[in-house]
Amino acid sequence: MQARPHHRVKALAALSLFSASALVLAGCSGESGPSAGSEPVTITFAASTFGDPGRGEGLEAMLADYNSSQDIVTVEPASVPFPTFAQTVLTQMGAGSGPDLIRFNMAEFESAAAAGLLEPLTDSIDADELGLIAGPDQYLIKDGERYGVVFENSNYGMFYNADLIPNPPETFEEFVQVAKDLTQGDTYGLAFRQTQAEEAGVWQDIQNFVLGFGGSWTDGDTLTIDSPEVIEGLEAFQMLYDLQVIPQGADAATFRQMFANGLVGMELNNGGYATATTANNPDLNFSVADIPFPVQSQGTLLTPMVMNVHSDHKEAVLDFMTWLLEPAQQSQLQEILGASSVATETERSEASLELYPFLPVLDEMTETGVPQLVLGYGPETPELRTIIVTQVLAALQGQTDMATAMETAQQQAEELVGQ
Amino acid sequence: MTRVHTGAAPGGAAPIPSPPRVTATAKRRRRAAGSRWTPYLFLAPAAIYILFFQMIPLVQEFRLSFTRTSLLNPTRNEWVGLDNYAAIFSDAEFQRTLLTTLVYVVISVIGAVGLGLLVALLLNGTFPGRTIARSLITIPWAAPGIAVAMIWIWMLNPQFGILTKLLKAVGIDPGRSGVLDNPDLALFAVLLTTVWQLVPFVSVVLLSALQSVPKELVEAAEVDGAGRWAVFRVVTWQVLRPTVGLVAVLMTIWALRRFEIIWVMTRGGPLGNTRTLVIDLYSQAFESQQLGSAAAIGMVGIAISLIIIIGSRFVARGAGKES
Repeated sequence: MQARPHHRVKALAALSLFSASALVLAGCSGESGPSAGSEPVTITFAASTFGDPGRGEGLEAMLADYNSSQDIVTVEPASVPFPTFAQTVLTQMGAGSGPDLIRFNMAEFESAAAAGLLEPLTDSIDADELGLIAGPDQYLIKDGERYGVVFENSNYGMFYNADLIPNPPETFEEFVQVAKDLTQGDTYGLAFRQTQAEEAGVWQDIQNFVLGFGGSWTDGDTLTIDSPEVIEGLEAFQMLYDLQVIPQGADAATFRQMFANGLVGMELNNGGYATATTANNPDLNFSVADIPFPVQSQGTLLTPMVMNVHSDHKEAVLDFMTWLLEPAQQSQLQEILGASSVATETERSEASLELYPFLPVLDEMTETGVPQLVLGYGPETPELRTIIVTQVLAALQGQTDMATAMETAQQQAEELVGQ
Repeated sequence: MTRVHTGAAPGGAAPIPSPPRVTATAKRRRRAAGSRWTPYLFLAPAAIYILFFQMIPLVQEFRLSFTRTSLLNPTRNEWVGLDNYAAIFSDAEFQRTLLTTLVYVVISVIGAVGLGLLVALLLNGTFPGRTIARSLITIPWAAPGIAVAMIWIWMLNPQFGILTKLLKAVGIDPGRSGVLDNPDLALFAVLLTTVWQLVPFVSVVLLSALQSVPKELVEAAEVDGAGRWAVFRVVTWQVLRPTVGLVAVLMTIWALRRFEIIWVMTRGGPLGNTRTLVIDLYSQAFESQQLGSAAAIGMVGIAISLIIIIGSRFVARGAGKES
């Protein structure tokens, strides 16, 4: 991949020109003191990643590199905790303020794009020239307009404890059998989220089952929540629940600790989990394999980088974005993010491959990853998620069967979106 | 009223002019009392706070409740009249939310005040280690709501929770997914957590009220042959009653507004069984991003609070006249 610094040159040139013009105008007006244009520009970059152990420090170091590479733009990190990130930033943006540059999750990206809170980047970002990976990149274009570029793409794979499972299962039947064989006493073969208190987590987990059995919440236009493929995937989810091969009622924090302690054999999780697990449990012998479901398609935690439409420093934001998309920075970012992938193809370093030998498995999933959205209904996804998860949990609780639950969900969802 | 000594001689003698020292004292007193603006000056900070941070937002919320407004575009809204109110009141889920709120408020208030009174009476007695017990009892109240919720989540963990094991030991099976995901037990668990956190506050307030019960009255009643229950009913309760009433009103309003314990423990689930007004409001505003509907739900909550406050005043006035 060749470096393409001319994007930055253009953006910085525009900024310099603006600054120089402002200086001249300020001089002509005879006013003394700093003018807006002559002052160095400071932009804020909001991302919950800044607070991630092991990753936040690396990202801040990258910002420092950028800041020292020129003397016009300073990027300041704004660390907002993940649980309140969307609510905080969207409320600020709705009120006409907020950070200049934001790392969003897809649900917030969809809402913000639909509400006109994101700056269109169609004319500023050339995907072909920059070599953006097409699979995830396609989800950042709405009605022909680009609103962001990929910051991080974390594919879902099957994490397994290699001490408990020397050979990972390759089919769904083997997957079920391994889970059953491992479950004994305080040890469970598998773990996933299944409580209302973790609605967002349940949504992420059922997504892998729905996609893995060939289902989708929509066909792009029409809701297909009660389609046979969706029901089949969710019945597989329920079967594992009913087999009691998971620690029922345990939240993610608990069963991840159990995984680290060798009390859980397998879980479906995203690449970001690999970094955190290794950082917290350096001696844990775990690995990642393909999710052994009938269809090779799985959820992905896609997080784009977007520009606030209310930003006063759009050229500066664009300069930083294009700097970050250059090959050297993409490789550096890739190293910091660990098992996630970035916007462009990069080479994994030998050190990374030694630390995470399973990285190629996760990287190969990039083209088949699907963001955890009801495609075509992005802004409505949070409400649709509540409807679907509530019905799935009703089926798990034995209040109804999965097919009826999904029929109910389909009805409620259609009422919501006005189909 | 400040009285100024005029220096008049007793017996109707000719008045002696006031010495300058007296005038200076009067001036000092008047200065100490301040001008007629002084009370307003003292009230101003609170009034400004209430105006800017409570009244203006309240008026804004009232106006929002008649609009269709998105969180993402709060300035671009459409006037829809009573549509939001019609929508929420015709929604069976909202009616269920109102019922859950009622159950949550009534049981948490009765539980907290009842147990708080019992604990206060126990702590008012004399026993070894009373001072330590009085200090320890305040811990649940001092802990933040989130921490309290987390403690109970761990105690109710289906695999390792001490309370789950205890329940199973006495023959109560909370189900495979545990108490918090059991539609029949989740509200009970949330109520138990709430009462556990509130009891210390109630007991400390009632304990201080108990200190003001006149000992001579208790002794006189005992001398007259009154038993423990009679002494409590005739003497202690009469002193405690206004405080209990005040605490009950406070508990009711706080129960209507309580968010963090429910949200952290169940997020309103399972299947909406612990969904109260505040949870519904938050969900509408920040998950569905519908500020108009959320404001309408908020106004319903405010109306309920006002009814309770006004009702309690009537009750208190009636009780005052009776006594």
